[in-house]
Order: sequence, then C-alpha cells, then structure tokens
Amino acid sequence: MANTQLIRINGITLYFDGGQTRALNGVDLTIQEGEFVAIVGASGSGKSSLLNVIGTLDTPTAGEIYFRDQAYSTIRDASLFRRENFGFIFQDFHLIPTLSALDNVIVPTIGCEGRGHKARAQALLSSLVLQDRLNHFPGKLSGGERQRVAIARSLINQPRVILADEPTGSLDSANAQQVLDLLTQVVKEQGLTLIMVTHDASVSARADRIVHMRDGCVEQAQGALA
Amino acid sequence: MNLFRFALDNLYRRPARSGLTVSAISLGIAAVVALTSIAWGFEASWQKANDARGTDLIVTRIASQNSMPSPFIAAKVQDALGRLPHVKEVVGLLSEMLTVSEEAPPAFVFGWVYGSYLWDHLRLVDGRWPADSDEAVVMVGSLASEMLHKKTGDQVEIEGQVFNVAGVFESSAVVENGAVIMTLNRAQALTDKPGKVNFLNIKLDAGASEADLAYIKEQVKKTMPGFLAITSGELVGNNAIVRISKAMSNATILIATLVGALVVFNTMLMSINERTREIGILLALGWQRATIIKLVFTEAMLLSLLGGVIGILLGAGLAVGLEHLELMRGKIDAIFSIPFLFAVLGLSVLLGIFGGLYPALKASRLLPSAALRHE
Repeated sequence: MANTQLIRINGITLYFDGGQTRALNGVDLTIQEGEFVAIVGASGSGKSSLLNVIGTLDTPTAGEIYFRDQAYSTIRDASLFRRENFGFIFQDFHLIPTLSALDNVIVPTIGCEGRGHKARAQALLSSLVLQDRLNHFPGKLSGGERQRVAIARSLINQPRVILADEPTGSLDSANAQQVLDLLTQVVKEQGLTLIMVTHDASVSARADRIVHMRDGCVEQAQGALA
Repeated sequence: MNLFRFALDNLYRRPARSGLTVSAISLGIAAVVALTSIAWGFEASWQKANDARGTDLIVTRIASQNSMPSPFIAAKVQDALGRLPHVKEVVGLLSEMLTVSEEAPPAFVFGWVYGSYLWDHLRLVDGRWPADSDEAVVMVGSLASEMLHKKTGDQVEIEGQVFNVAGVFESSAVVENGAVIMTLNRAQALTDKPGKVNFLNIKLDAGASEADLAYIKEQVKKTMPGFLAITSGELVGNNAIVRISKAMSNATILIATLVGALVVFNTMLMSINERTREIGILLALGWQRATIIKLVFTEAMLLSLLGGVIGILLGAGLAVGLEHLELMRGKIDAIFSIPFLFAVLGLSVLLGIFGGLYPALKASRLLPSAALRHE
C-alpha cells in the first residue's frame, strides 16, 4: 500500500432538513491511496453521510474536502468528478430489474464517450465469477450474485475509490464472506482505495483502518495509519 | 445498452401507463388527422370539380358564401358578362341538395346548361347524354348510381317528379361522381326557380391572360352591383362550410396539442416521482445531469412519436371510413399529403418537448443524496 494522501477532510459539518438535523459535526479525516478504511458506528452516527460527502453526493455545510489536493469547492462538474473517481456499492444492490446483469454493469457508461464498455463489463463480471450469468436478470440472481453485479458496476468507469455502504448488510454470512473476498481482491489487484460503511465487526476487522463514528463526529481511528 | 434502449426499457417497465399515454396521444392525433384531411379534402374536392369543368371565373352574389349560394336571375348579368373581352362562354349552374331516393341520404342535384362546356369533362360510362335541354332525364354519377341503386333505364323520383336515368357518368371530382345532373331548364322547373342560377361560370378564350382575368373581375365589381367575379379557389376558400370545417380542424389541433402535452407531462412527472431513487442511483453512478435530461426527453419523445404514428394511421382509417359512410359518400374526399403527415409528426414532437421539458429539468435538479434517501 502506498502512503500517498488521497483524501483529506477538514472540519466537515453537514446539516439536513434546512438546518434542523446535524449529520456531521466537524469531521477531520485523512485517507491514503490504496487504503481499506472501514467506517463503523451506531445507526444515525453519520457513517453514510460521511460516505456521501466524500463521494460528492452531498455538499458539506461547512469545512472542506481535498482529493489529491483539489478542494471539492472548486470542482465545476461534480458528476464528471464522481464518475472519474468514485464507484458506489449500496446495501440493497439497486440493480435495474428489467436489465440483464451485463446491461446493469454498462448503465454507468451511458453518455460516456469511448468504446469497449461491453467488453470491459464482460471481463469484470467474469472476474467476479459471473461469466455464466451475463444475461440473467436480477430477479434470477441470488443476493450474493446481485451484489457482485453491483461491484462490477462500481468498477466499470475505472474509479480510484470504491465507496461501499454496508455491501454485505443484506447477505447471509457465506455470501457476505464471498462478496467481501472478491471485493477486497479486485480492489487490491487494481490498487483502489476502499471506504466501507459496515456494522459487521468481521468485515471491519479486514480493513487497514477502522474509523469509529458517534453523533456525527469521528470518535476514534484504529489501525495502521490511525 | 445505450440511452435509447434504456429509455425504451423504462417505458416497457410501465406498460399500462405507457400504453394509456400513447392511446391518449393517438386519439388526439387521430382527431387532428381525420378532421384536417376531411376539411382540406372538402375544399379540394369542390375546387377540383370547378377546375375539371374548365371554369376560369365564377360570378355569384357578394353575400353568397354558402356552398349553395342563393339563386339569382341569370339574365340580369349574363349578357353583360358575355360582352366582356376574352369571354368565350357564360353558362348558368343551379345546384341543390335534394332527396333522390328514400333509401339514400340527400344528394347534390346539378342543373347544367344543355350543350355547354360544363359537360365536356364528364366521361359516359353507360347509356346516353340528354337529347335536348327539356328532356326529363337525369344523368347519375358512378358513385351516385351505386348509392341510389339506379342504373341506365331506371327511374328516380325527385321532389315528386319522375325522371328516367339516361346514363351513368364518371368525373375526376368526387362531388360530381356522387351527384345527379340534369339540364338547367329541368332543374329550374323542378325547383320552381325559372331563369335562376346559383353561379354563372365563365370560360375565357385561349388568349386570355392574368391581366384580362383581373380586368373582368374589376369590371364586374364596377358595373354589376351586388355581384362578384372570383376564381374557383377564391370561391371555395370563402365558402362558409370550408371556413367552419377549417376552424374546427384548427381548434382540434389546438385542443389535441394542449391535451397531448398535458398527458405527456403528467406521465413523465409521475414517472420521475416514482423513479426518484433510481435517478439518485444513476447520479451516484456518475450520470451527468445532461444525460438525465436526455433520458427523460427521449422517453417523452418515444411516447409522443409512437402516439403520433398510431394516431396518423388511426386518423387516416377514420377519414377513409367516414368517406365510405353512407351519409358522407360522394360529399367528402379526404386528402393526406406527405407534408401534412410530417407536420402531424412534428406536432407529436412538440407534444414530447412541451410535455417532457419540466419533468426533465426537475429530474436533472434532484440532489443525489436526497434522491437516494427517497422512499
């Protein structure tokens, strides 16, 4: 793992509901390139909100985030920035039911220039042991298979960072283990940074670093780079 | 997988709503196509009849904008017209809508001057022409023959008077094919309008120019108070029925556009509201706002264009069906021109643009995180 700083979060505060709800309260955090960071904490502690502001899905009320020294506040096209740098994995997979596994993986490339998206999607699904499921619809796939399709989808635009919000939360332990193995393997092979929100101690135990959150604050960071 | 296929898939996922939207648009477009083609056809059919007769100018009463203007004494102006330069022939025409058979709807009955140029364009299919200006016979158009179930040698009773069918003719104008023609003398006697005509038809000689035509029109205006000389195009264009039918078709276009756009708007807005979370996911996956706008617009366009194409087919079928309806046969001749059909498709595109604009902008302005939290 390289020790290059990738993301620097400085005093991030995030309010919802027109200032009624405070989701993040002065969060400071640094994430290194290639690092696997697990964010843990009770429900409502701000884990997913932190993931959203890192992934530019939410704009912080105060504070600043830097990605390779570029301040988020200076980014002109957040969608393009997100596409080039982040891949998202959700707990409930969020696959489109009427599209095949292959088409679901290709969806993020719609509107992108360039060719070879289909071949890349096929290769990704094969690397996630889904080569026999390319034309299967989500309804015909197991939970583990669906999440593997979602992983392939998160990788299609060749991001630098994978943001995973409880990716094993809807899976049984065997499937969760398999998905986690494949995800960490792909992330390691491609030298990506993985930031994962999880409740599962066995999942967070595999991370390079665990960030504990409570009431919108980083309570404690454990691990190699803590 | 591309944007078009994805948009198509989104519509396919909601078959009932997509189907209902396409049906509503189709009905609106069908009404536009049917009414407009009939209105234009009505106008074109009368113009074709006048053109086929070889009439250069028509003299009628100024106030007469009806399809059958009130009759006037021909002798009042006929001689004066005949003395104008380049006028080759001036012939009267009496036209009435009369019951010819109890089993068929009323038909046009024309009275034409015996031996005049008006008869020249007709083609005799069966029988013979009237022998003289007073013979109590009628000629029936090929369509009228079919509708009235009358052929050469049969008898028809019009306004209580019995006429023999001398022959069957064919014309290039539908209104004439659906009509019964007799000599002007017999028609005047039949309708108790001796010496009266609805129109005086003027045929000019081969040397007449546009300037001569304009001169004659000007002379009629100056020297024949209460009368007007106009071309067949002007006559048909001023016709009250043509005007009303055109106004009705324009009103239908306006209503269909408003209703169609509202239907597309409602469908797309509901679709966007239902798919808020999905749009949030697409934004999270890196879709740009412009791509979201394109997606919603593509869906709106697909709905409206499909509705447009089905509507055109439905409207054309409806118009053709109406043409063959017993009550309408021989009276309307719907027209479908390629530019008109493209204009209707253009109208469908407008429905998609108007209906899809706000939902597309709304979808593109969703905050990804808020959309992802949407239940």
